[in-house]
Formats: sequence, C-alpha cells, structure tokens
Amino acid sequence: MPVIEVNNRGVHIQELNKGAAETVLLVHGMFSNLSIYYFNIAPILAKHFHVVMYDLKSHGLSERIAKGYDLNSMTDDLVSLMDSLRINKVHLAGYSFGGLIALKMALRFPEKVKKLAVIEAPDPNDDKTRDIIDDYSREFLEHYVTNFTDTTKVKMGKRQMERNHRMYEYLFHETSIKSDMILEKEFFSAAEISDIEQDTLLLYGSQSNCLGAGKKLKTKIRGAALLEVNGDHNIPIQEPVSVGNIMETFFNNG
Amino acid sequence: MDAVVSTAKLNSNEIFDLMKQFITEVIGEEFVEEMDITMESSFTKDLEMDSIEIVSFSEKIKAHFGEQIDFTGWLSNMDLDQLINLNLGTIVNYIEECQ
Repeated sequence: MPVIEVNNRGVHIQELNKGAAETVLLVHGMFSNLSIYYFNIAPILAKHFHVVMYDLKSHGLSERIAKGYDLNSMTDDLVSLMDSLRINKVHLAGYSFGGLIALKMALRFPEKVKKLAVIEAPDPNDDKTRDIIDDYSREFLEHYVTNFTDTTKVKMGKRQMERNHRMYEYLFHETSIKSDMILEKEFFSAAEISDIEQDTLLLYGSQSNCLGAGKKLKTKIRGAALLEVNGDHNIPIQEPVSVGNIMETFFNNG
Repeated sequence: MDAVVSTAKLNSNEIFDLMKQFITEVIGEEFVEEMDITMESSFTKDLEMDSIEIVSFSEKIKAHFGEQIDFTGWLSNMDLDQLINLNLGTIVNYIEECQ
C-alpha cells in the first residue's frame, strides 16, 4: 500500500497500468476513500489509461491534517500530488465532493486537465445539500455497508462502527472541514464556473437529489453533456460498471 | 515492505497462513486475537473488513504474488452476493489454482 510523501505529508495512492500514454486521475468524495474506484471503475479505465487514485487528506489511509478543506487547498494538494508523480496533464474525474475539486481544478489549472468528468457533484448552496456534512454523515455510514456488502444482509460490526465513529469525531471536531465547506457555498453561482473549457461529462443518478446540480452545471458549462445513470447519489457503488464504461468511452473519444 | 514476489508454489495450508498474516497486518493483531480465523471466515461478516482494508489486503496479495495472480480483477467480476459470501477458503483455492 504505497503511502508517498507529498509536501511532507503521507498520501495513500494506488496506480494501475503505469505504462499507458495518458493518465486518468480519480478523486473520491467526502468521508469516503479510493476504494470507491479501486475494485470496478479503475480496472475498466486501466484497459486504456494509466489510472491514479488517491485518498484525500484525513481520508482512507492518508495522513490526518487539521486544516485546508476548501477547494483552493484541495486543488493545491492535487497539483502537488501530480508534480510529485511527474504528471503534467490528466483526464480528471471526481465524485461528489471530489467532483467539486475536479471542477475547481479545471478552473484554476486548465493546462493540467484534458477532459473533465463530474460525478454527482452537489451544489454547495442547494437547500438539500447546504447542510452538507450532516447529509454526508448518513450516506457515509451507508456507504461502508453497501460497498461490498448489502444493507439488507449485513450489519456493520462493532469494529467498523468504532472506526467510522473515530473518523467522524476527528473530521467534525478537530478539522476545519465544516467551516471550509461553508465558504464554498457560492461556488456554482460564481461567474468563473462558465469559464470551464474542457470537454465535460456530468454523470448523475436519475433518482439522485443532486440531479438538479447536474442540470445547473449543464447550463453553465459550454458543451457539457449530462448523462443519467439508474440510481441515486451512490451510483459509483450501485452501477460501477456502467459508470466505468461511460467514463472509458468519454475519455477515449477524440 | 512486503514487495517481494514469491516464486515458490505454496500448498493450501501455507496460503491460508499467509492470508492470515496479511489480515493481521491489515486489521491489527489486537482484533485478530479475538477472532477464530478459519477457511470459512467471510471477509465482510466475520472479519468485518471494510473496503479500504480489502484494498490493503489486495495490495499485499499483489506485492507477494506479482503478475501471476489478478486478485483485483477476480474480485471485480463478482456480484454483490458473491462478495458478501466471499470466504477465506475461496480465496485460498483461487490462489492455489493460479500458481
């Protein structure tokens, strides 16, 4: 399990098909980790691309960091990671909060992003997602049960509950994640979002309460394509093969 | 680091012991001591491993066996029910066949 040093901090990364000419970089969501891509989506993309996955700070197996969860800091982290891996330009995909990071990356560092895939990025100012941390808390617990298990068949055991609880306690009470996210609430309303020039794919669940955010982004990003996959906000878990195949086609064409 | 590719063919008991060692490294000795790990132990129900722990476990298999075993590829072909019921014996058999 490679944990590499980036700016003197431990970052857990996984790479597939290192020899490929082009790289796809995958950013996971809040309270999740790179495993959301590792088992299905990344292997599909690795048929053609070098695939890089990483755990965001304080997530998965990456080092805990108390500050810097705003989108500028998160994209600074991503640039540092690319620099340390000596990668200049990538196809970039992000899920949920990772989708916001991907959008910000395309705006701040357009020269580093070839194509952009945004999966289920929520509008930080939407009524349903404004209380983003609480929403994600419930989802996160479900994520651990549904990813590789089935809510109806397996109950989360004591050890996992404790692990998850410790992570929540840390992120909610010892980091700036809440206040940093509140600062981002105007992100979709900012004029700059229309400056995105990359080919952009917006991938949303047809029953997701974030679908409205996808429709909003489609009106703001010139030429963006919005595709709906059967499912809700958890489409990478519910339909990993469809999500992987759609991304493979998108990054491969042109 | 365990990035040493083994070339010696292991029997099922040896593979079982190796898997047990990997599980211990991933979830920690204090938890393993409380468990009775057998060939029938399932990853999710009995060992309570979550997805990032299964990533670490998969990486240990990759590092040890190298190209001869596509463990992640094998997992990715399973449906949800198969994954829920995946036990150590099934993994030991798979590795034994791949060697």
